[in-house]
Formats: sequence, structure tokens, C-alpha cells
Amino acid sequence: MSLFTRTTKELTVKIDEFFDTVEIGILIFKEGVKAYVNGDHDAFQNHLTRIDELENKADKLQRSIENDMMVHSILPQQRSEIVKLLWQLDEILDTSKSTLNEFYIEMPHIPHSLAQDFTSLAEVSGNAAEELMPAARAFFREPYAVREKLIKVYFFERETDKAAFQMKKKVFHEMNDLSLAEKAHIRYITHHIESISDTAQDAADLLASMAIRLML
Amino acid sequence: MIILFISSGLFLGWTLGANDAANVFGSAVGSRMLSFTRAAVIASVFVILGAVVQGSGASDTLGRLGSVNAIGGAFTVALAAGVTVYFMTRAGLPVSTTQAIVGAIVGWNFFTDNAIDTKSLVQIVTTWITGPVLGAVFAYALYHLVRITRKRIKIHLLLYESYIRTGLMIAGAFGAFSLGANNIANVMGVFVPSVSLGDANFGLFTLTGAQQLFFLGGIAIAAGILTYSKKVMQTVGANLLELTSEAAFVVVLSQALVLFIFSSSSLSGLMVRIGLPAIPLVPVSSTQVVVGAVIGIGLYKGVRNINMKVLGSIASGWITTPVAAGLLSFILLFFVKNLFGIDVGHSVSPSVGITGELNVAQIIKYSIIILLVITAIYLVYLLLAEKKKTDSLNKKYY
Repeated sequence: MSLFTRTTKELTVKIDEFFDTVEIGILIFKEGVKAYVNGDHDAFQNHLTRIDELENKADKLQRSIENDMMVHSILPQQRSEIVKLLWQLDEILDTSKSTLNEFYIEMPHIPHSLAQDFTSLAEVSGNAAEELMPAARAFFREPYAVREKLIKVYFFERETDKAAFQMKKKVFHEMNDLSLAEKAHIRYITHHIESISDTAQDAADLLASMAIRLML
Repeated sequence: MIILFISSGLFLGWTLGANDAANVFGSAVGSRMLSFTRAAVIASVFVILGAVVQGSGASDTLGRLGSVNAIGGAFTVALAAGVTVYFMTRAGLPVSTTQAIVGAIVGWNFFTDNAIDTKSLVQIVTTWITGPVLGAVFAYALYHLVRITRKRIKIHLLLYESYIRTGLMIAGAFGAFSLGANNIANVMGVFVPSVSLGDANFGLFTLTGAQQLFFLGGIAIAAGILTYSKKVMQTVGANLLELTSEAAFVVVLSQALVLFIFSSSSLSGLMVRIGLPAIPLVPVSSTQVVVGAVIGIGLYKGVRNINMKVLGSIASGWITTPVAAGLLSFILLFFVKNLFGIDVGHSVSPSVGITGELNVAQIIKYSIIILLVITAIYLVYLLLAEKKKTDSLNKKYY
């Protein structure tokens, strides 16, 4: 039996817990946007508190994992890339949290006709990040399966771009009743939601190259 | 006085420990999977164990090549080998202690007008070629096995790495044992015929005179590991062998297996009992076996460009090292005998050059084996080069 099993098992649990935290955070983000757009302020407030807790937890786990990997010299050849991957996954949660915070602080006016578009945009952008998680988990158990799992990430990222483009076009070309400030505000919030899928795509690129290197 | 004479062998042991321990633990220490202290302690303990427990087989073969029957001669032969290794290393030329000591013994045979046992010589030289080839074959097969197993069991990467780490330690210990068992002949083999020590009874076990010499040699190798191998291990791990942890494990295990095969008298006896030819117990170069193993992994991964320079440098070492050591041995023996009046040995079986039990048919058989091995290596190279050409053409046109 391995002499290092205990440390390894603890670290394995921490990594899985980190992935769970990010995954739940993404779900909370989608629900949060939906609650705001539908005007359910209590639910929105709850989601905001919850995502804040999750983000703190993920930060602590990320630091702890990095520390354990350094101290026990675990996976010396893949360590820097794994740390970078964890950082990017944490970035997704950070962006999700800051986007909900922007809704809370700036209280953007979302016209009723845009409610569905916003919900859909948050959904597809969140889906891109969500689909990243099985691929990230697969990297540790079956690196051969990573690439096929990443296909959905790229698909949802493209869908997010399309949805954001359509929405911005709709706001600036069709919704003449909105002031320029309101339009700019919506564009700004849209851009933030979009950036979640962009970060997911960056993480997917990294994950793909990590998996290839591991299989070589 | 004995210690003074065997000092050249101890020096040879020290250089062996400083350089060759890196073949066993270099990739693990260089990639920081194992701390140097842990690796050095494991290597030292198992090198001594291997030398004492299983060192006699390869040593007997060297004894048959040339039984250096005066301690002054043994000292000079070991010194010639040590100096050759030192200067060739400094000059950046590929060198192996094994090949240097064989050359030096042949030099002694010429100087003292003793017959060269051609059968032993051919056996030894054949092993220089089959060692790396066998290393490549083992590495290819083991790497395939490791990859297939990993794919099937879907183990978590961290857990997998921790098993590989443990495996590296065990394989490293086995490698160090085999290194001690196989390469102690280079260090102390020449002293066995001329230094007669009585059996030492330790109650639980008894050490023969040869084993006591091997123990001293083992300590010299361990001293080399503890005092000077850190830098070499870190260089090997970081620069020369950029291997993944599983590849490093396979390389170490392959090298350990090859060295074990060429030093285990039990295994050789087993082969004879089941009706197969006996395995020659011959000291082989651990560095060259490691290079063979790395090439084996490269072939598995589909590396198309085998660095022929590396293979060429190994092959050139097969000739230059023994020739240089043999010449130096001859010259040093002349000075030691005539200048200092020290007995360097006498003729036991005067010869007209070459005698031995080897007949023409056997020489032809060994030559054919060598030719076949070289042809096989060349064919594999041609095949890979052709594949590369086809791939590049495909890329160009489609």
C-alpha cells in the first residue's frame, strides 16, 4: 500500500469538494439572475448570500489544495497547470458572484420584454461553465474522456455569444424607449454574464492541453 | 597494506556510486517525487545488500576473463579503469565502468602473457549490446502494461501518482540491489583472486572472503551515493531524462530487471534446469540500459526520430573505453612492475594470444546474434523514418 495514501485521499476529497462548490455556485448564479429578472427580491438576496459563502469556501479550498500540493510535492510535473486550472475555475465563481453583486448594487432596469433574454443568457453562459466541471473531474480519473466532455463547453460558449449579440442588437436597434444610459447599463451587465462562458472556454482550452500532455 | 592496494577499487566504487545511483533514483529525485535523503539512504542500503548477497556471479565471469593473481596487478588494473573513466568523463566522452574494467583486465592478460578466455570475452561483449536492447524491450512491454492498466482501472490521478511514487521507491530499492549485485564485479572483482580473506562468522550469518571485499566495495559505492550523487541525480532528473512519473518508474524497473537478470545465479540455474541456455552473469552498464529503456518508451510513444547520435556514442564507447583502459592498464603495469618492483601477476596459462573453450561455431553464433540485433535496431529506425516521411507527405497534400 502507498505510504502517501492518507494525504492523497484528503487532497482528493478537497479537490472534489472544490468542484462541488464551483458547480453549486454556478447553479446559484443562474437562479439568482432568474430571481432578479422576475423581481423576486427575497430569493435573489438568499442566492447572493449563498454565492458569497460558496466563493469564500472555494477560495479557502483552493489555497489549501495549492498548499498541500506544494508541501507534499504532489504531482510535481502537472502541479502548475492544475493550480492554474483551479484558479480559472475559481475565477468563474468570482465572476458569477461579482455579476450578482452588480445586480444588487447597480439595480439595472431590465424591461419586461428582455426578461426571457436575460434568463436565457444566464442559462447558456452558466451551462458552459457547468459542462466544464465533468471534464475537470474526468481529467483526474479518465483523461481520455476530457476532450469529448469539452465539446459542450465550446457549444454553449458559442450560444452565449450569439444570445448576447442578439440581445445587444435588440436593445440598441429596437428598444427606442430606453435611454442611452439604460442601454449602456444593460450592455455592461450582459458583458459580465458573457464573461462567465469566456472564462469557461479558457479553462476548457487549458484542460484540453493538460489532458493531451497527460496521455502522451 | 591490503586497504592501500584496494584503494583503487574503492575509488572506482565511489565514482560508480556518485554516477550510477542517478540511473536508479535520478528521475525521482530530479522531479522531486522523492527527497534526496530518502533516495540516498534506500540506494546505499540496497547497493550493499546486493553486492554482498548476489555479487559473486558477475565477479566470477570477470575472473574467468582474467584472474589477476597479484594484488599489485589488481590495484593497477582497477586504477587504470578508474583513471580512464575519470578522464573520459572529463572529456565528455561516453564511458562505462564495466567496459573500462574489462579493457583493463585484457590489458593485464596481454602484459602477463595470460590467455584471454574468448568465450567469457564474447559473452561480456554480447551483453553490452543485449543489455540496452533488453532494457528497451522491457521498458516497451512494461510501459504498455502500465498504460493499459491505468486506462482500465480509472484510478484518481492523485492516488495513481502516490502508487507510482511508492512503486518508484520499491523499484529504486530493487534497482539499487541489482546495481550492487551486478556492478560490484567492476569494483572488487579483480581483487577476488589475489586477496584471500578468511570467512567471518557473525553468528547469524557468515561472510566469505569475497563477500567481505564486496561489502567494502558496497560501502565505497554507498559513500559515492551519499557524498556526490545529489548533483548528478538532480541533473539527470531535470535535464537529461524529462520523463513522466510513470515512465520514470518503468525505466527504473526495466533497468533493475536487466541488471538482476545478468547477476542472478539462481535465475541462471533455473534456466538451465528447465532446459534453456544459462544466462551469462556479466557486469553491464546501468547507464546504457537506462538509455535503452528510454528509447523503448520513446518507441512506444511513437517517437519517430531516434537520436542516432546517442546510439552511436554508446556503440563507440564499446570500443574506445576498453581500448583506452587496456592500453593504460598495460602501460601502468609496466611502470608498477619495473619502476616500483611490485609483483603485478604472473602467467598461469601462457598463450599465443587467444585461447579458451570457444570454437569457431560459437564465434559465428555470437556474431550472428550481434548482427541480428544491430539489423533489428536499424530496421526499426528505417520503419519509423519511413512513417515520418509518409506522415509529413500526408500533411502536405491533405
